[in-house]
Amino acid sequence: MRFILVTVRKELKRRFNDPVGLISAIMIPFVIGFLMASVMGGGGASIKAQLLVTDLDDSFISQGILSALGQDQIADMILLEKVTLDEGQRRINEGDGSGHLVIPEGFGKAWLDGEEVALHLTVNPAQNISPRLIREMLESLLDLGDFVHKVFGEELTIISQNLESNELIGISTADFSSNITDKVSGIADLIFPPVLEAEDVTPQPEGVSVGVALLMFPGILVMAAFFAANGQSANFWTEKEKGTLSRWIASPNAFSAFWVAQWFTAMLLTVIVAAPIMLAGFVYFGISFEKYFTSLAWLMMTGPILFAVLSLIQVLAPSKKAGGMISTLVMFPLLMAGGSFFPTETMPKFIATIARYTPNGRVIEPLKGYLIGEYGAWGVFSELWGILAVTLLLVLLTGRLSARKALA
Amino acid sequence: MIEVRDLQKSYGDLVAVNRISFAIGAGTVFGLLGPNGAGKSTTISCLSGLLRPTAGSITIGGFDMARDAVKAKASLGIVPQELAIYEDLSAQDNLAYWGAAYGLKGTRLKQRVAHVLNRIGLTDRANHLPKHYSGGMKRRLNFGCGLVHEPRTLLLDEPTVGVDPQSRERLFDLVREEKAKGTCVLYTTHYMEEAEKLCDELAIIDRGKIIAAGTLNELRAEFGGNDIIRLSGSFDLPRVEQAVAELQADVLSLSTEFLMIAIKDGARNLPAILQGISATGADIHDTRLSEPNLESLFLKLTGKELRA
Repeated sequence: MRFILVTVRKELKRRFNDPVGLISAIMIPFVIGFLMASVMGGGGASIKAQLLVTDLDDSFISQGILSALGQDQIADMILLEKVTLDEGQRRINEGDGSGHLVIPEGFGKAWLDGEEVALHLTVNPAQNISPRLIREMLESLLDLGDFVHKVFGEELTIISQNLESNELIGISTADFSSNITDKVSGIADLIFPPVLEAEDVTPQPEGVSVGVALLMFPGILVMAAFFAANGQSANFWTEKEKGTLSRWIASPNAFSAFWVAQWFTAMLLTVIVAAPIMLAGFVYFGISFEKYFTSLAWLMMTGPILFAVLSLIQVLAPSKKAGGMISTLVMFPLLMAGGSFFPTETMPKFIATIARYTPNGRVIEPLKGYLIGEYGAWGVFSELWGILAVTLLLVLLTGRLSARKALA
Repeated sequence: MIEVRDLQKSYGDLVAVNRISFAIGAGTVFGLLGPNGAGKSTTISCLSGLLRPTAGSITIGGFDMARDAVKAKASLGIVPQELAIYEDLSAQDNLAYWGAAYGLKGTRLKQRVAHVLNRIGLTDRANHLPKHYSGGMKRRLNFGCGLVHEPRTLLLDEPTVGVDPQSRERLFDLVREEKAKGTCVLYTTHYMEEAEKLCDELAIIDRGKIIAAGTLNELRAEFGGNDIIRLSGSFDLPRVEQAVAELQADVLSLSTEFLMIAIKDGARNLPAILQGISATGADIHDTRLSEPNLESLFLKLTGKELRA
């Protein structure tokens, strides 16, 4: 184990003696990310959720919900489209749309009567953020409805009883209006707190604004890890050509230790190249720094899966030149399909599905979810073991395949 | 320290090393001599654990390379024919790394690195990257990487290839120092002068087989006291061959421009030789008389030049 650590230190020294390579691994993803985010609308552009709505109730309550979802601020995030039940089910099954909301028949009457009500929402599992937006909006609306019911329960019952007659029975219009006014006055202090001081301020968003640039950010980090991994995976051929690999094999150390050391080096290189990019991103996007080290740890442990994939390619290649060419041929499509150039949210469904099964996609998506608040830290790391297991298997396979080739 | 028995290494039908055996004791420099492709490097690769022998056994420092490879390797120091150093790591870091590879650490490692840097004459360039070194300096560093852990057995595979005379002499000194310390040294080369200068015992290998072995004097005795006469000029081959036979000498090498013969009491017989050869119509430009050396021995044994 000691010699593995000594080897890792030696590898890092070699990389630091070639600062151009190291700085390139940092700068290239940084520049590509900046350009791509600019082309795609930068940080201001946001993702819109497409909500298909089937209103089977068609009451003034259901229309009120749709009207609320169509208000300016919400409409910036959710695009409503009224559809029939069949069309809505068909389209959401085809992945067309972020969610399908069905307001069942009798919903409005039941709500007015204070009975248990349910809205049926089907979300698109291929999307991460948009369904979450829709769910949160609906939950807010339902909370509001609950609150209204608690305050104006009697009045709502009266409305319910007189829905069909269009007249108020058992109470005069004046009394009805007076009751509502009294209740609003009674809770006015709670819902309309007195203004103590007027100050002209620009309100700051409490959370992270989810724009295209932020959605690209994890992909950029993984791109940096990819570049670091690519350089390290080519080290097998470099050491073979330099004769140092033979010197290693002639030493009393196990050959497998060589690959373990390369793996550990890839981990640290990932941290070294990703840390400055991550720092810049956290500042730019206003992401809480509580997530910084967790995100870095995630990248450190999962990013080397890319090293493992590229190392296997290098070892299977007949020469260093062929290894470099094949690695490049594999790396760039993976970067594109895996979500480093374009976030999966902007991809066609079938490519987004492929992206989630690429090695870099497996690293990017949980990190993205964590950075935008979809997952907590434990949620992210629940996927760690699978990635580590695959990385270990690939490293072992590479070590086995390379043992004979090392001396060929 | 090194014992090789019936070592064979084959690649399909090609037998690179064919059942060779030798033993080298402590404080001995053993030269393995042969032309390129004779099997020297294959033998070294088998000894260093880089290649698995097809047959035979190798024992290093009392440990069998097949059964106890880690212990056998731990007592070995290797200086490969090709440079095996990190050109993007300083000389000091190279030495420290390869020292650590053999278990050195802490103060002991620092001491050894400083000592070896001094011995290979790189103390003042210790923190420079080898990619800025001359070829000779890189060779010396390559040598130092094999010595840093103080191995009891040293395998030197043509360590002076492409080395300037100054660095070569320094490397010779290092080999002598190692010998004086009691290190067992296996030295492969195709330079006769090196072998004659450094080696206590020699084996001549050709086409994977050891064709002669012993001390330098024992090998010289193969000539039965003959001297070597080299003539340069222009020669009529059939007539020269007949004349040499009449003079009771052995032809070692003959071409239209060069003749090498072995003959008893060369100094006394030289006038007769010159007269006999000239009588064939040969035009002799240059004549040299010498004691038999390894090169002439190799020529006698194999019928070809060692550096061909």
